[in-house]
Amino acid sequence: MFYKCLKCNKTWPYNIKKCPFCFEEIIKVQSNEMKILACSKINIPTLLHPKVPYFTLLVEDENNNKYAYKSSTEKKIGEKITYNKEDNAVAIWRKKYDSEEAIRKTLDLINNPIQENIKILILPTLISPNHEYFRDNTSPNFIDSVLKIILEKTPKENIKIIGQSFNDVPIEASAQKSGLLDACLKYNIIPEDLSKDIFIKQNNLEISEQAINADLIINLPIMKIGKISATENLFKLLSKNSYSALKYLHSEPEEIIIKQINETFSNKVLTIAEADNVQGIDKFNRYLGLVLASKNYLEIDKVFDILTMNKKSHRVLENININNISIVGRDIEEVQHNTENIC
Amino acid sequence: MYIKGVGMTKFDYSQRAWWDFAYEAAIEALEDAKMNISQIEAIVFTGMSSAAGGEHQTHKVSFLSDLFKTNVPIIETPSVCGGGGVAFWTALHLSGFKNILVIGSEKLVDNQSDIVVDWILSAAERVIEQTEAMIFPAQNALIWQKYAEKYGATMDDLSLIAFKNHSNAALNPKAYFYKRPLDLEKIKNSPVVASPFRLMDCSLSINGGAAVIVSTEESDIKVVGSGFATDYLLTFGRDDITHFKATKIAAKQAFEEAKIKPQNINVAEIHDAFTSVELISYEDIGFAEEGKGNELIRSGKIDLKGSMPINPSGGLKAKGHPISATGLAQIYEIVNQLRGKCKERQVTNPKYGLTQNIGGAGGSVTVHIFEKI
Repeated sequence: MFYKCLKCNKTWPYNIKKCPFCFEEIIKVQSNEMKILACSKINIPTLLHPKVPYFTLLVEDENNNKYAYKSSTEKKIGEKITYNKEDNAVAIWRKKYDSEEAIRKTLDLINNPIQENIKILILPTLISPNHEYFRDNTSPNFIDSVLKIILEKTPKENIKIIGQSFNDVPIEASAQKSGLLDACLKYNIIPEDLSKDIFIKQNNLEISEQAINADLIINLPIMKIGKISATENLFKLLSKNSYSALKYLHSEPEEIIIKQINETFSNKVLTIAEADNVQGIDKFNRYLGLVLASKNYLEIDKVFDILTMNKKSHRVLENININNISIVGRDIEEVQHNTENIC
Repeated sequence: MYIKGVGMTKFDYSQRAWWDFAYEAAIEALEDAKMNISQIEAIVFTGMSSAAGGEHQTHKVSFLSDLFKTNVPIIETPSVCGGGGVAFWTALHLSGFKNILVIGSEKLVDNQSDIVVDWILSAAERVIEQTEAMIFPAQNALIWQKYAEKYGATMDDLSLIAFKNHSNAALNPKAYFYKRPLDLEKIKNSPVVASPFRLMDCSLSINGGAAVIVSTEESDIKVVGSGFATDYLLTFGRDDITHFKATKIAAKQAFEEAKIKPQNINVAEIHDAFTSVELISYEDIGFAEEGKGNELIRSGKIDLKGSMPINPSGGLKAKGHPISATGLAQIYEIVNQLRGKCKERQVTNPKYGLTQNIGGAGGSVTVHIFEKI
């Protein structure tokens, strides 16, 4: 993606807002064709790129913009880089300063499942009254970008943003402190507390009626190393009572909830996961710079676990074979790095 | 402006504090200038920081005040590998001061190379390029591939540059590779790190310090030309990816100010962070026509016994590259060459010397020309 001044045609790789020469608006220019100009095989590991060998490519797009591209496989000069699209895959894309474009790209790679004029329930991560930099809650910029994209498909009246607190902190406090509230208010949408919703009992679990009635649930987890962030965020569709009972009475509550979520919502959950600066097990953040999207939230958690090279995987991910997951966009090897180190 | 004194530590992996490298170099420069610190009216400092973080210090100007027991203005001009040259350029352009002490020091290598390399890589773009594995060796290897494709130069040409610089460093007591020359075959057969670059095409990250005292008062060395230019951080967003535009601009400024031509230069220190950068710089500075840098290294003209030796100190390649100190260490070498003080590696009767110092992959470049009065 490049950013171009319409008047003077100067181009930037950064998402600037105005040209410093003309003060004109900037337009986005997609790179649709990437031709390889040069390729270097790298044999020395670095913190960001621990697995060697790999290949650093110099590529050029149809507008003569040149840039770097990491590849896990050797490429020939003149060869073009192309991407497969697949409905049921996990899409991985680099953010590179622009959340909106990365989200658009991941959705495109899974043949955008957001249909026109449907009822959408958006479920951001809202768990603590902390500033954005803690990376506890979905970032304002991320939900802003998602709302912008969704509003191109369906009217505001069809969109609800929900959250539910499973502790004593009201979601309003988390939304306000994290800046998420302001991002939603920009579109005149006020996040709703799901605990005030009606819950319907299904197999001894109480599940939100709004969620059951929605055409699509957009799950917006902020990913955290060592956790099943995409999966756990969906637990907020249960009533607090249901969740608490399971948590304290069962040794493997996640499996029970996952089974019920799959039964109730089958094919109507779309997860768009934020994995930019991700919180580590020690609560310090690591830079990853990614967006992931899939209709399968568990597969997103598995892919994230692999690409952060996490050594203590959550129990529910152990039986998922990464080789059985279709990946589109960037390969795991291209974006994977050892997040044990803060860098 | 004139050079009154120069100082430099040995470049090595010793784990002295960053300020200790700075202090030793500054004291040598003061003694060389026959001054004491009370005669210094301003200080310009450049440095990155400790890679491991143990000695991180972001208020170095106050630290230096403490160290030198002075209250004069002290400014810091970080510009990574080009920091020394930028600090020197800044001192030349500061008005109202008679004597200015310019210092560069680094204790960057204080941990495993993964950590140090990651810290050095912060001198390139992180989000767009580093994530795509555009580490410095890859960046320069790709530039070289396009250059070689355009002009027909070979890896053997680059090996000759490494051989020349290692041979020179073997004669420099302050170089890391002092008394340790490498034979050409060993250079040609060193491991490939980023194809086609081999280990011996890359410079040596190391610790060290260097200092220069500039003055309005006449001395034996005059700064006759000074140029400074910048360029885009994303190397491949530039118009010509086979040359460094900032070097061309800075060199043009320096030669115009000096009112001399590249052929008047008798000795030069060029920023050989990678062997290819030295070769491309021959052309950008004007020592060779575009595409003919390889003829210069093949000719022997720039060897120590040639008519215009380049990197008699051993360069970044074999003397070592303590990031911000490098630009000032280049000036240290040129001043001593012009003064005839370089013993075994002394160039015959030089009148004009040149330094070229690069930050990142051509992102900030200074070129300076010195004349023996």
